[in-house]
Amino acid sequence: MSIGLNGLLVASAALLAVGAFAVVARRNAVTTLLGTQFMFAAGAIAFVAFGRFTVLGQTGAAGHENVAGVMALFVGAVAVGELAVGLAMAALIYREHRSFAVDADRE
Amino acid sequence: MPLIGALQEPITSAPLVLFIYLVLILTIAAALASVLLRNTLYAIGAFSATLALVALLYLTIAPFLLFAVQLLVFTTVSAALMIGLLRETVGIKESAVGPFSREWIIGAAVAAVLLALVVVVAAVTSWPIRVGPQGVLCCPSFLSAVTDGYRVALAIVVVLIGSAALGSGLMLASLRQVAIRTPGRRG
Repeated sequence: MSIGLNGLLVASAALLAVGAFAVVARRNAVTTLLGTQFMFAAGAIAFVAFGRFTVLGQTGAAGHENVAGVMALFVGAVAVGELAVGLAMAALIYREHRSFAVDADRE
Repeated sequence: MPLIGALQEPITSAPLVLFIYLVLILTIAAALASVLLRNTLYAIGAFSATLALVALLYLTIAPFLLFAVQLLVFTTVSAALMIGLLRETVGIKESAVGPFSREWIIGAAVAAVLLALVVVVAAVTSWPIRVGPQGVLCCPSFLSAVTDGYRVALAIVVVLIGSAALGSGLMLASLRQVAIRTPGRRG
């Protein structure tokens, strides 16, 4: 029994698919935001997996040590920033329409 | 420099592999639950669980600092933002489920089992030192890589997060002022 790059990339792809489903199929602004967060997390997992199982993760490999972890850190930070703005917009939608539906202004 | 051509050895330690598979399955399940649940509060809970599980995954394959930041900063900040949104909009009602109900006991049991599994795997694999052919990869080298090698990127991220916090704060503040001016519309 073992786990390598492939297993983690499959999990990352599954998480990305869940996030894409939430963004495309759900009308709730909060759920859509959660979907984008899952897509960010999927990207970060892929970064970390490549860092762990390729030469990027080797210390001293052309000065690229820890590069994947650093990228995952930045991806997480950007995701939190995006979440803050998105939640403010969701609050705006709710206060205007008393609903989190992203197409509430069409009604 | 080939990236894929020099794959390092997969993880073969049985407890660690089992733990990673369990974490991956729970992560996907929690993400699905978060997307499919109709109750926003439960969806946010499942979302926080997903982020915490991603942090556990980082514990096994990434530098320890990334695990700590993911668990203590990203997960808590995201959950706090979400709960803040709920308080500002629909409000949070007191739970109808008592503290010693069956749901809580089952949840506590699952959490205890997961914690025990973490302890077992940590004992077997001597965390936070990473298991692998390339040796130790822990906090100091990672921290120095962030602060020394990526100063510009770090500054950009700080500016981005600061702008996001400022922008969302101003937006919410302006909404409050509008609500005070037109109380009838806000109910």
